[in-house]
Amino acid sequence: MHISDGLMAPVIWIAGMAIALVFVALAFYKVDRNIEDRTVPYMAILAAGIFLAQMLNFPIIGGTTGHLVGAALAVFLLGPWGAIAIIFTILVIQCLVFGDGGITALGLNALNMAIIGSLTAWGVMSLFPKKHKLPGIALAAWASVFLGATACAIELAISHTIDPSYGIDGLIALPSMMGLHSIIGIGEAIITTSVIAFLAKVAPETIRLGSEEKSKGEYDAT
Amino acid sequence: MQRKFLIGTMVILLAFSIGLVGFFLVSDGKPDGLETILEGQGVKETAPVWTAPLNYGSDYASALSMGIIGFSLVLLVSFSYLRIVAKKKQQGTK
Repeated sequence: MHISDGLMAPVIWIAGMAIALVFVALAFYKVDRNIEDRTVPYMAILAAGIFLAQMLNFPIIGGTTGHLVGAALAVFLLGPWGAIAIIFTILVIQCLVFGDGGITALGLNALNMAIIGSLTAWGVMSLFPKKHKLPGIALAAWASVFLGATACAIELAISHTIDPSYGIDGLIALPSMMGLHSIIGIGEAIITTSVIAFLAKVAPETIRLGSEEKSKGEYDAT
Repeated sequence: MQRKFLIGTMVILLAFSIGLVGFFLVSDGKPDGLETILEGQGVKETAPVWTAPLNYGSDYASALSMGIIGFSLVLLVSFSYLRIVAKKKQQGTK
């Protein structure tokens, strides 16, 4: 779902960059204010692990593939601000070092995957009580991909409306992006819940640490 | 903490090296959701504004190497930044 250079109308990627900057600055401010020495390796290894997971595309239908975004996983373990900060860091390295996603589209990619993905996952998880944690995580993971892709489709459609040499017609962009990503989101939900179930079994302190940080409001959206 | 950190790193890298086999068996060269739609609409990629020094690799060995480089970079950047911030915060509260 990484947008490349030249796909979106300039006004759209500039607006995306401006909106993303506000949220990313807020996320880093929250993380900076609340970080503790003991959580540093935990956050860093989670970020590096999500980077690797994003490299592993899985097949869906008709020769199309999808990959983990990792926003819901990061939100569950760190809360929304920590998640936005680490996904943004991953996106910057993917863009600058590996050419995955255009530099002009960095703001839109951050908006769709880091910001909309994380805030959606956080919102959905908040709706579920503790005893229904896993179904809540699964739905949050699915929704984070689906709404991120829907935002991308809207950006494509608006770009095309502004200037037909950019983006795609909304009548095509919206149903096709939403359709394909509703399936990719299932993969995201399976991987996210599997990783969390695995961590709960082999390294429960990582789950506890995340819960402690969130309960103290350290990385939470409070 | 350091031991757990090392074990976690080894587990993630091992999982990646196994997952990469699956990637090359079933997903290599296939477009993702957005790319599929763009290809279907005949949208051609324009030249990137920034030319990145690396790519994700085209075979198992190069992809594994690039994965390890990327993993190390993300780890290093995140760890260094967060460590500096945490230390500053600690000094500020003393």
